[in-house]
Amino acid sequence: MWVKLVLLLLFCLMILGAVHFAQPRESDKPSSSAKVVHPLRLLTWNIGYAELEDDTRAHDKDLPAVAEVILREDPDAVALQEVTGNAQLNILLGFLHGKYRGAVAQQGKGDRFEAVLVKDAGTKFIPVAVGARYALGASFRPREDTQEVLLLSAHADAFNAARRRTYTEALIDWAQARAQSSEVFIAGDFNFELKADNETNFYTDNLKHDSESYSHILRHFRDLGRAAGNTAINDRRIDYIFGPPTLEQIGRVKVLRDAAVGRMDHWPLLVEVGL
Amino acid sequence: MRTLLKLELEKLLRAKGFYLSFVVLIAFVTLMLWGFYTYAARKTGGGAVEQFKYTYESKQYFNGLTFSLYSLLFSFTLLLPIFVSMSAGSQIAGEARAGTLRMICTRPISRASLILSKFLVTALHAALLLTFFIGLNLLVGLIFVGWGNLELYPGPLNLVDSPGKIVRDEALMRFGYAVLSGTWALLVIAALALLCSVIFDSPVQATVMTIAAYLTLYIVGRVEFFEHLRPYFFTTDMDFWRDVFKPEIPWQSLWHYACVCGAYTTGLLFTTVVVFERKDIVT
Repeated sequence: MWVKLVLLLLFCLMILGAVHFAQPRESDKPSSSAKVVHPLRLLTWNIGYAELEDDTRAHDKDLPAVAEVILREDPDAVALQEVTGNAQLNILLGFLHGKYRGAVAQQGKGDRFEAVLVKDAGTKFIPVAVGARYALGASFRPREDTQEVLLLSAHADAFNAARRRTYTEALIDWAQARAQSSEVFIAGDFNFELKADNETNFYTDNLKHDSESYSHILRHFRDLGRAAGNTAINDRRIDYIFGPPTLEQIGRVKVLRDAAVGRMDHWPLLVEVGL
Repeated sequence: MRTLLKLELEKLLRAKGFYLSFVVLIAFVTLMLWGFYTYAARKTGGGAVEQFKYTYESKQYFNGLTFSLYSLLFSFTLLLPIFVSMSAGSQIAGEARAGTLRMICTRPISRASLILSKFLVTALHAALLLTFFIGLNLLVGLIFVGWGNLELYPGPLNLVDSPGKIVRDEALMRFGYAVLSGTWALLVIAALALLCSVIFDSPVQATVMTIAAYLTLYIVGRVEFFEHLRPYFFTTDMDFWRDVFKPEIPWQSLWHYACVCGAYTTGLLFTTVVVFERKDIVT
């Protein structure tokens, strides 16, 4: 009888312990929101659709909603991915009532483009050749008294980790070369599959490539959006904003999970930093 | 109770399966050493950066502690649960198959005490297996690969979100913690196998049923279709043991999952005792 009593007591103790040590779920955790003086606010958003759709690029009908989010959050610069081209960008700029200037990247092998929107009228847009793909840079001054900021909008291959690694290496080389003269930020959809929580994947080449890519970026840049959690459906954190490792003030970091419309599979990531 | 434990321990030490489990682990470490050695040579050789310009895989990265960690993580998922299932699955069903269960139960001991002593011996076996395996890996790693710090990167092994490092002495301590956390996690399998051992009269059937349940939940838990079911599988909770290898041990989460595993173990043991007490032993 005593054995059963002891087991029952231990069982209850374990249940109580499990409840006592339970942690809040990711969605219950508050987003980071420290106050920053003179913040630079950056937003990245892959506005394309999930794989199930016929056309997975951004859809014109969603642009008013995209513009509404941008106007509401008021970022200094926006990195967009999966835009269909110049025509679509111009429609979006129209919805933004002339508040932003923008450009799309050169066309690579794919049918979709990265784009950057910036408030500053003196912005220079810089095409960035990264192997067979193109990223787009925008060089601007958020305020008169600040150093020049260079924001890159990037989109790494969704299907091949080795290609993602090659792309990342070339992109970081390009960005590193400009890190002395500007505050470089890299924003975009990198498609890294690196979620560590409670996973037991065996060692695979794909995982290794993504690991090497991400670790290489972190040698030179800081992952500013890490605290905000998943940025895409199926619990994936694949959209990033990387910034200079010397940044001292990081303010609001948030994934806007109510922003997606239509069949979008990504949410915008907003990061506020002090320069 | 002490006499019971002594008797069960003697039975364990006389069982061929006990020694077989250690032999298989030695073979696994040898295989891992060969794989690790050739992989490290390939990745740090002249042609390593032909396709990619940058890598963290260097001679400093490939050391005995990294080898031990890989070996332990790879084996823990599939190899160690098999031996624990075999050991626990044969405890009651093995006695039934040998025709000794009825005789044991006629002795003036409670059935609950018998279950408890058999479970404690199985737990000892699991702890010995893990201690031996970790010790052997560290020894082989030291002799054949050399020591250094334990460098961790996001992705492989899924331990960290950003690159991290555990210095050598601290890493050795973490392997010590892993003996405790790993054994605690394996006790869930041991308790399940003991329950199967009471339900089924054949040790093979008990072992196979335990491994089948474990593998089914493990595999289903890895399939994205069932990701919402994943938190309800004991196989997911068992993964907590690896947290001791994170640069900053997440103690709150570790204690939470340790308690969940403890609840599974004690709950299953309680069920085992209740079922065994009501069991009509006819063999």
